[in-house]
Amino acid sequence: MISILVKNLLRSVGVLLTVTFATFALMYGDGRGIARAVLGVNASDEQVQQEVIRLGLDQPLLVQYFSWAKNALTGDLGRSFFTGESVTSALSTRVPVTMSLVFFTLVLMIIISVLLGVASALYGGWLDRIVQFVAIGGAAIQAYIIGIVLVFLFAVIWRIFPATGYVSPADDVNGWLLSITLPVLALLVGAIANAASQFRSAVGDTLQQDFVRTLRARGIPEWQIIFRHVLRSASGPGLIVLSLGVISLFGGAVFIELIFALPGLGQLAQSTAILGDVPMVMGALLVTVLVILVVNFLADLAGAALNPKSRIK
Amino acid sequence: MQRTRAQTALMVPVTVLALALSACGGSSGTGSEDQGAGTQKDTLTLGQTADIEGYNITLQPSYQGWFGDAVWDTLLTCDELNNPSPQIAESWEISDDSTSATLKIREGQTFSDDTEIDAADIQASGELIATVNARFEGVKYDIADPNTITLTWPEPQAVMISRLCELGVTSSEAIEGGHLDETPVSSGPYELDAGSTTRGSTYTLTKREDYWDSETYPYQNLVLKVLESETAGINALKTGQIDGVLASAATIDEVKASGQEAITLSGATTRLLITDHKGESIPALGDVRVRQAMNMVFDRDAIAKQLYRGYATPAYQIFREGTDAYIEGLEDPYPYDVEKAKQLMEEAGYADGFDLQIPSVSGQNHDLLIPYIAEALGKINIKVTETPLTGPDAISNLLSGTYPVPLWQLGNYGDSRQDIVDYILPSGIWNVLHQEDPKVADLWNTVLTGTEEESAQAQKDINQYVIDQAWFVPMAYPNGFYAYNPEVKIPHVSDFANLHPLLRDFQK
Repeated sequence: MISILVKNLLRSVGVLLTVTFATFALMYGDGRGIARAVLGVNASDEQVQQEVIRLGLDQPLLVQYFSWAKNALTGDLGRSFFTGESVTSALSTRVPVTMSLVFFTLVLMIIISVLLGVASALYGGWLDRIVQFVAIGGAAIQAYIIGIVLVFLFAVIWRIFPATGYVSPADDVNGWLLSITLPVLALLVGAIANAASQFRSAVGDTLQQDFVRTLRARGIPEWQIIFRHVLRSASGPGLIVLSLGVISLFGGAVFIELIFALPGLGQLAQSTAILGDVPMVMGALLVTVLVILVVNFLADLAGAALNPKSRIK
Repeated sequence: MQRTRAQTALMVPVTVLALALSACGGSSGTGSEDQGAGTQKDTLTLGQTADIEGYNITLQPSYQGWFGDAVWDTLLTCDELNNPSPQIAESWEISDDSTSATLKIREGQTFSDDTEIDAADIQASGELIATVNARFEGVKYDIADPNTITLTWPEPQAVMISRLCELGVTSSEAIEGGHLDETPVSSGPYELDAGSTTRGSTYTLTKREDYWDSETYPYQNLVLKVLESETAGINALKTGQIDGVLASAATIDEVKASGQEAITLSGATTRLLITDHKGESIPALGDVRVRQAMNMVFDRDAIAKQLYRGYATPAYQIFREGTDAYIEGLEDPYPYDVEKAKQLMEEAGYADGFDLQIPSVSGQNHDLLIPYIAEALGKINIKVTETPLTGPDAISNLLSGTYPVPLWQLGNYGDSRQDIVDYILPSGIWNVLHQEDPKVADLWNTVLTGTEEESAQAQKDINQYVIDQAWFVPMAYPNGFYAYNPEVKIPHVSDFANLHPLLRDFQK
């Protein structure tokens, strides 16, 4: 178990360094474009050059990256080139928005797709066909299209939910739930489509195994077989689905946040990447990568805990 | 009964859904809580398609610049035709040589920190803005007394009034304090309510009761919501979450059908800018016959009707109707005639055409325009390659002179001198190769030194000259739209660039 932990930690650090450096390198340029974008078209060339120096964009790539990484280690993620806002402060308002979306989508995804997957594998027939239909349809339709349809129906026509915006739960819990319901639903369809079919396959495969037949022969109630034995055995693929689901949800959240004008990480990354606001982009990226690494790490640990066979190499 | 962890986990989303659904019945989910029966709106909520660049006075956009309008007064305020009115200065005088302006500051005006506005604040603000805006570089400030200041430019300023209407004022103490990125000190009608603001998303401002021109701004509160997606903006307007937002030709029918009001704006001219008049980078462009031929292959009526789906007017010149440079009743100087264009190319020795790279930038309608332009210029063997410019370097590259024929929907201002400064003079931002022309220099000198009539005539002459020389391929005046809630009144649009209403245009 300890070796799994150490290997995972080392791998995570490697991924973190690679991803952050690659992103930094992709955004690296002579700095004049960024400085011009900051100052606008009325700035003279001299003013632009001064801004390049002020922002430290005249430094070599490695110098800029190590400076950023060193400060990041101390918790200082810098300030936006454009707004002067502290990146940490910007993230403190953005992260809860995206995490609200991802967390609720994930919880609902797990419950619904496990139930659908198990039922489909157990009973087959029309239920199974529906699950497969949903899987294909949900995978084919992008979350942002579902989002647009949901807004049209539930916000514009029926006025049940707000069309845009985010309310912090600290201000109004009901408002918060209202503000995230449609975005969560938009993300949920695709997430369930993918996860339900995976659970269906995993549970179906497990149900074919000898130990299930033995358990049934011993007269153990079916629900106990499913929930105590089959699901535990199928947990490996389930955890993979779960960790991939988090990554996919972060990707989907970018578009959903734009459609619903939610001030989350996705919107921040999208708008600041276009501008070349390196500190903001790096801040948003760092949080996203950290969340994904932690989820993968926990999924690996949970997999090892649930299924001892996975610890054996 | 004791619950297992699994049961508890199941309870969370179920409770969430139940709460969400129970909450649905009681609220429309809109932001119109201030619109109770029999009461007038106290809050004006505007959507803006781009975020502001924070609270620093030096980095405020002019496009959708409602935050800046709300927080900082300028020395003067200009209307759509560049006619000035008092703002921080209650009177002003411009020197005969157009290099200096003497301003008298109204007494008793205060900042939001209750300190009084005086000449030192104007000097500090001007010097600060000069560090990022070349239009204020080299300006000298002469303070006669706390309420009288003279600004002197190193060169004559034909658009001096515009400059005075641009210069926003914040407190010199705030500038010295070095916290401009964190706390704006208002000289304008509203101040920031930081507690009700989420940066990047929602900016809430409240009215300053002691503001000198309070009546012009009837709303007690101003909320600015960042809605980067047009779909989100239109949905927010239709559901009453906001009171106004920019709309496009693609969405305006939908907006009107939903019962919203809309203003049509015509603040831009779609054009190719043929900036290489001397043929320095593409020799063919140095021949006026080639530039004229490039004008003749565009069917402007078809562009307005088909490309812009009727939401545009054909353009034969770059200036706005009603300005000094605009030539009334100008007939199409280069009617659509491909055969004649081919003949001109042959006479110029370029029957086989040449290669031309035209840069495109996302969000500028270029995906619609460039294929049409490529096809049109292809008729005279000019092979157009679209060069997509992306990321933060896009505008910098566009203005670098690398591409001598940029395509852009540029503003046509209420004062044609501003167009000449930006698009025609060698120092102009959009004269990307900055080539000089003696005839333009001569006429511009008359604009600077002549009487009003002589200046107006010289501007018309510049217009006629650039038409004859075919420095541009004007195509259309595309319509823009501002969509708004019928409960809000917008009796007049006073934006110099005619791109959207200004904050003072929103009335009850």
